Amino acid sequence: MISSVITWLNDPSHWRDTRLNTGIITQLEAHLRFSGIALLIALLIALPLGLFIGHTGRLSWLVAAANALRALPTVGVLVLLTVMIAPNFHGRTDTGYVIPTEIVLVLLAIPPILSNTYAGVQNVDPAVRDAAFGMGMTGSQVLLRVEFPCSLPLIFSGFRSATLQVIATATIASYIPLGGLGRFIYDGLAQQDFPQMIGGGVLVAALALSADLLLAAVQRYAVSRGISGRISKKQVAAPDSRLATVTQAEVATV
Amino acid sequence: MKRTTFIAGAIAATAALTLTACGSDSSKSGTGSASSSGAGSTATIASKLIMGGPPEFKTRPDGLPGLQKNYGVTFGKYTVTDTGGPVTVSSLKNGQIDAADLFTTDPAIKSNGFVILEDPKSNFAAQNILPIINKSKATDGVKKILNGISAKLTTSGLSDLLTKVQVDKQDADAVAKQWLSDNGLATTGSDASGVKLTIGSANFPENVILAQIYAEALKAQGASIKTTLNIGSREKYYQGLKEGSLDLFAEYTGTILQFIDKTAKATSPDDVYAALQKALPPNLIALDKSSAQDSDAIVVTKATADKYSLKTIADLAKTG
Repeated sequence: MISSVITWLNDPSHWRDTRLNTGIITQLEAHLRFSGIALLIALLIALPLGLFIGHTGRLSWLVAAANALRALPTVGVLVLLTVMIAPNFHGRTDTGYVIPTEIVLVLLAIPPILSNTYAGVQNVDPAVRDAAFGMGMTGSQVLLRVEFPCSLPLIFSGFRSATLQVIATATIASYIPLGGLGRFIYDGLAQQDFPQMIGGGVLVAALALSADLLLAAVQRYAVSRGISGRISKKQVAAPDSRLATVTQAEVATV
Repeated sequence: MKRTTFIAGAIAATAALTLTACGSDSSKSGTGSASSSGAGSTATIASKLIMGGPPEFKTRPDGLPGLQKNYGVTFGKYTVTDTGGPVTVSSLKNGQIDAADLFTTDPAIKSNGFVILEDPKSNFAAQNILPIINKSKATDGVKKILNGISAKLTTSGLSDLLTKVQVDKQDADAVAKQWLSDNGLATTGSDASGVKLTIGSANFPENVILAQIYAEALKAQGASIKTTLNIGSREKYYQGLKEGSLDLFAEYTGTILQFIDKTAKATSPDDVYAALQKALPPNLIALDKSSAQDSDAIVVTKATADKYSLKTIADLAKTG
């Protein structure tokens, strides 16, 4: 079975488009497009909202409400929205199917980003926040220069779990007639072509893991070293560096 | 050190994905010419159309390969929708696809004015509806009643019944009774008195209606009837038929034949019926087949049919 999956993945005819079949490359592009658009929209909604709620402490019920969204049965919502939206689009367009898919994926991606952003800002050390205000920073300066950088690790972890979920769930776009890597899983099952089905699954898993690794690499460089605690031994050992003594103390407490 | 291995891993993974992508990109040029040569200098009607249906229609012997073999029909593109469900219907209605694989009794065909393309070469195996009954229960009286039903059952008549149950949400039992009285079959008598029958049905509305029709007609003629409706798929209920826990079932000639004999090749109504009678186990018999069929069909919109003057599947292979 494993060898037939490898054979399926290695067959160049499965990677390119033919008249009746869409190849892996095109489906991979479609999959990335669905996932990318959904993550971008979710980020644009959830990040500012999470920062606002965390900073002001107002509207915190929204976070709980967003978490309740996680309980929605994704396929059910997708079919419901498709039945409502698709008949409004006529002619050679798949807009009527793309919109429901994106709505469902955005609903899926918002809760982890929102709740992690909120929790990250909320849990910034009050002493740090007080010090920032004491130095004369305005509210927005405190939010953007102190609270946001300090909560970045949590925001990243929220975004990464949203990415994993969205990439894995974007396969349901194939439940309504759209492309994406889910096509191979659905078609493989219907055609009793199990190498195709497992091959599709392997591709989705590989895509999700690569995206996560990529984001992990971005996180390494985006998050301040003072927060992540990644200070080389040399710097920590330097007795005259103020930064080093502070972080050394921090490391010791951790 | 940990960090470097981590980053190296991330880079390797992305590189692997991009490399495989590039590797197959180069082979893409080869397909371009292949697909254009398929269309040829004089384009067929089918090559301008997008066909939609279930995923397995692409590979099934009576799906795209059968259409190509029997009629020389090759569609321009195939879009996977669903198995004769709402997505296929709305895609066809709204023009995302031009032709669809639907079931002949689907109420959506009539309500949307879709046109079924005739299948003179029987690409799709015949699916005449008929009663399969346990031999010990098939008395002359029972046979007469059931054959009487089959004589009156038509595809469009069945489609109307299905509309009543699926669209108008009427009760299947009431619809069955109404149909029997409309066709002069609701006569009471004693043709089947003393016979005890268990009637089963699969779990889709059409099969339930058929089981109710059989049940009501036999009941009116004095039989004592037990119904076990919505059992599930053929794998589940066929065993019961074979072992005698179910006595009567409404079946479809093509699929039941294919189920018993995977190598069956017959496609025309009479061939399938004859082959089925041979293939059934000794304790089961097939009574008369009705003209009603619930089979796959290539369906187009009225507008498409008029535009290309399409009547049969063979018309799709014409140039136009």
